[in-house]
Amino acid sequence: MTTLTAVPASAAVRRPRIRNRYLRGLATPRGVIGLALVGLVLAVGLAAPLLTSYDPDFQTADALVSPGTGDHLWGTDEIGRDLLSRLLYGIRSDVLVVLAAVPIAALVGCGLALLATAHRAADVAVQRLFDLLLSFPGLILGLTVTAIMGVGRGTIIVVIALVETPAFGRLLRGAILVHRDREYAVAARVGGAGPLRLLTRHVLPNAADPVVVHVALAMSVAVILEGAMSFIGIGIRPPEASLGSTLAASRPYLEDHPAYALGPLAVITALVVGLNLIAEALNRGARR
Amino acid sequence: MTGYLLRRLPSAFGVLLLASFAIFLVLRAVPGDPAETLAGSDPSPAAVDAIRHDLGLDRPLLAQYASWLGHAVRGDFGRSYLIGGSVSDLLGQRIGNTVELTLGALVFSVTLGLVLGVLGATVKNRFGQTLLSAFNSVSLVVPGYVTGFVFVFLFAVTWQVLPAGGHESILADPQIGFQYVLMPALVLALPVSAILSRYVKDGIEQALSEDYARTAKSLGVPPRRLLWRHALPNALPPVLTALGMQIGVLLGGAVVIEAVFAWPGLGTLAEQAVTRRDYPVVQALLLFLVAVFVVVQLLTDIAYALLDPRVRLG
Amino acid sequence: MSLSTFATSRRTVLRAAGAGAVALGLAGCKSAVDEKRDQAAPAGSGGAPKRGGTLQIGSISDLTPALLFTQNSLTALHRLVFNTLTGYDPKTLQPQPQLATSWQVAPDGTSVTFQLREGVKFHSGRPFTADDVVWAIQNLKDPKRSAQLRATAAVVSDVSVKSPTELTLRLAHPVSNLFDLFEFMVIADKESVEDAVAGKRIVGTGPFALKSWTPGAGLSFTRNPDYFVPDRPYFDGVEVRIIPQADALLVALRSKQVQLAIGLSGRDVQPVKDDGQFSIRQFDHGSGAVYVGANVSVKPLDDKRVRQAVSFAVNRDRILQQALGGYGLASSTPWPKSSPAYSDATAKRYAYDPARAKALLAEAGAGELSLPLAHLALPSYTVAAQMVQFDLQQVGVKTTLEPLDAAKFQTQLINQTMPALWVGGHGFAQVHPSTLAVSAYPFNEAKNTSKFSDPQYTEIVQKAWNQADADSAAAKAAYQDLSEVLLDRQFVIDLVVLANLYASTSNLQGVTQNLYADTVLDDAYLA
Repeated sequence: MTTLTAVPASAAVRRPRIRNRYLRGLATPRGVIGLALVGLVLAVGLAAPLLTSYDPDFQTADALVSPGTGDHLWGTDEIGRDLLSRLLYGIRSDVLVVLAAVPIAALVGCGLALLATAHRAADVAVQRLFDLLLSFPGLILGLTVTAIMGVGRGTIIVVIALVETPAFGRLLRGAILVHRDREYAVAARVGGAGPLRLLTRHVLPNAADPVVVHVALAMSVAVILEGAMSFIGIGIRPPEASLGSTLAASRPYLEDHPAYALGPLAVITALVVGLNLIAEALNRGARR
Repeated sequence: MTGYLLRRLPSAFGVLLLASFAIFLVLRAVPGDPAETLAGSDPSPAAVDAIRHDLGLDRPLLAQYASWLGHAVRGDFGRSYLIGGSVSDLLGQRIGNTVELTLGALVFSVTLGLVLGVLGATVKNRFGQTLLSAFNSVSLVVPGYVTGFVFVFLFAVTWQVLPAGGHESILADPQIGFQYVLMPALVLALPVSAILSRYVKDGIEQALSEDYARTAKSLGVPPRRLLWRHALPNALPPVLTALGMQIGVLLGGAVVIEAVFAWPGLGTLAEQAVTRRDYPVVQALLLFLVAVFVVVQLLTDIAYALLDPRVRLG
Repeated sequence: MSLSTFATSRRTVLRAAGAGAVALGLAGCKSAVDEKRDQAAPAGSGGAPKRGGTLQIGSISDLTPALLFTQNSLTALHRLVFNTLTGYDPKTLQPQPQLATSWQVAPDGTSVTFQLREGVKFHSGRPFTADDVVWAIQNLKDPKRSAQLRATAAVVSDVSVKSPTELTLRLAHPVSNLFDLFEFMVIADKESVEDAVAGKRIVGTGPFALKSWTPGAGLSFTRNPDYFVPDRPYFDGVEVRIIPQADALLVALRSKQVQLAIGLSGRDVQPVKDDGQFSIRQFDHGSGAVYVGANVSVKPLDDKRVRQAVSFAVNRDRILQQALGGYGLASSTPWPKSSPAYSDATAKRYAYDPARAKALLAEAGAGELSLPLAHLALPSYTVAAQMVQFDLQQVGVKTTLEPLDAAKFQTQLINQTMPALWVGGHGFAQVHPSTLAVSAYPFNEAKNTSKFSDPQYTEIVQKAWNQADADSAAAKAAYQDLSEVLLDRQFVIDLVVLANLYASTSNLQGVTQNLYADTVLDDAYLA
């Protein structure tokens, strides 16, 4: 089966020094801005206990106070919880989801891709599975999985993994198919390299580029999906704060307490834009 | 070509059939019972059993699937347990609303995509270029619910010129209906317009670098005329192909945007039907989405096959 | 049921609802913002009722035809299309004539004789007779109809029809909530009942006839010219639009696309609360209550002191204010103020007292508790559950929240598989108190979600139910006993009695609802 995959020709031929290529990509203005945005969000998330003295779940009678009232730098929500603290701890819960879901999707997706490229029958089965998964919009997949598994972090991780697995799988499968027929691979095969050695030493190192780039993209999709699921009430289990659930809860108060929504809006935007810039930088670096 | 279609179509139907079975089984695996939901608050066990029998939910699973499939191939998707009425009617009405939103988004994305693309190809100063590319990058990646929030805050809360959410049929009352569809459609259109503008820009730049364009320029054809009469028409076919591929994206995105803007489309129907286990509605709805995806996939493959004979023959 | 309305509470932020034409540059169009300022002060309730016109209603929930004979989710249908034999005066809970003009209850409470109104016709033209009542009772006994008052209907053991306008019902035993049944039991046209439960044709004797129903969109009613109440109704027609999202429904009200919004919660209506163009009516009947349920088969909740500690630990007033926008009644009993079982003393029995809660926990030897707390995964319930969780944590009871979707919640509720604690809503406290104990699942003495069983509770429930005269001193004493046993056992820990809200334009007059929260428009008009 012929597949049309846009893999830049220059990435092939010799075994490149991977680390340098990616680093070179990141050292561009794009990469630096991306890294700075994501780094800043991660840093304030990690430093949450140092930046706020409030327990994110502590409720007071002071509901919906404006930023700067008393000790509440960013105000409180409708049941009197400190919004700054909920925002910072919300970053942590988002990061946890992303760090669990994306590697799972990458591993499973790449595993299935290897299986698909190894065997014709497996290829058909894997392709149809990917088709099936891709045919549902992420949110509808989320609704269904949540109905089965219940609300919680585990569910979100599964949903993100289900959405991203076919993406990783298709990318790697396509890249392997292309590189397997390249001259250098054919030459190695003629030179007596076994199929495993051919794969690990020659094909995979070259085919890995789109996968590496996609990790950053998948992370941004994960952040977006967490928000979307929380928006329809199937996000992180309360009372734990997450960016999406804080945003969803802020909706009724947009008029009188815009700060409530502004926090998660800014952080989600920074994360998504930052991750996409990183992905773009990596992509350019890989192509060079 | 016919041969290619003959090979490709059974596989598309295979995916549909497989999906319908998977959907059926998965739904039944979900804890919760439509009969119990239907029995209302504080039901008696006898009432639940009676309703379960009435809905045929006490029959063996495979028999239920067979009879559902038998009706479905004849276009009868049963009746909604909860909302009542035939599923086809219900779905038709909600699909209509989602299509209204999607079409609105399509119009916006094409308009915006053309404007931004032409600007991208013609604006030469560095600052303008940076600004355009930053705008495109941001609108491409920022999720719809974030843009939606910002729009609602600006247009509905601060300036109070547009409704924050809801739906009024644009056919019944065009002036009011337009105001309801404006924000959600624009939000949905932004990422797509970013993609389209890239195609428009590339297409124009490529066309302008062709020999005939350079000749025409050297012969004194005004650049403006060259752009509108030659470059833009030449750039359009790939834009249309890209647009076709984005329709699925628009439909999927509509699900989220509907939640943000309280738009009574497929997304809100899905939420309602799944959380209350309205099996007939969920089955038909999911199958519809799979079908849309399969058709889009098929059309894309056919387009590729037309462009590249190797695929057709290989 | 109406509790679902507690659910959707994303309120809109729209001020300029509907039209924004000015900003769009469309000349000659007025902006809704200006329109609001220009409008005259709302008309008072004085002046003669105006006849004619069509009332536009917006409803969160749609008709579920299969649930036609239950307390349905669409409340704007039953008392438009149908009538009942009798209707309660909501203030006194005394039955008033409707399709029955008079009745006599036997002194021992084991039979009741009705005289029926003459000359009443169904919308189909067929005359209404005693046989229709006989059929209606049989219909409610059918388990498939899932009627909440089936247990009470089943008490009717024998019916004898003396004439087309007179019949006698004999009861297996006296029941105090007999007239709850006649308030509940709509008299439908028996010939078209199968069409009715399929949603094709719904025929009754009421002030309005159902013209059409488009699932998910709306219902359309026309005036019944042959309605048995002279000169009523005032409206020529009623249109009900289904708007399932609370914020969108509020938009429709604020833009005056609908004059009456049904199903908004206290949090939803905040934006129009202080706006003179709109009025908010509060009905304390038919709205149910938010409660914490306890599974008494889970240790240490088998000890009633632990359950009482939970009750003392929760700050009901804060839940009322923060989760419900202040509409409702913070109370430790299920009863609304109109109920004969209501008393201030019992309602305030479990005033917020964390110290007392801790003492009770210590007394029961329950230290360092960690329990699951289930709740409906809908915004208002999620907020309420988080508040309960926080309050419990302050007295040393750690809980893990378990959000459940509507179907899963229902399954666990009726299959007795709820975890240690759950936050839910129950109905049926608004009519006669014994209806709660025989019809509301969390309270059922024979089988309930809490797995609570106690011979004394059973005895008190049966005593309250088997009263021949619902207003006698003996009956009142029995209700008091019921309150006391509920307050002592606390397997259902009531938090807030909900208010049913009608948000309407302020010129809508005369709209009301019956005890099952069904909209009554007999006397309604737009001033």
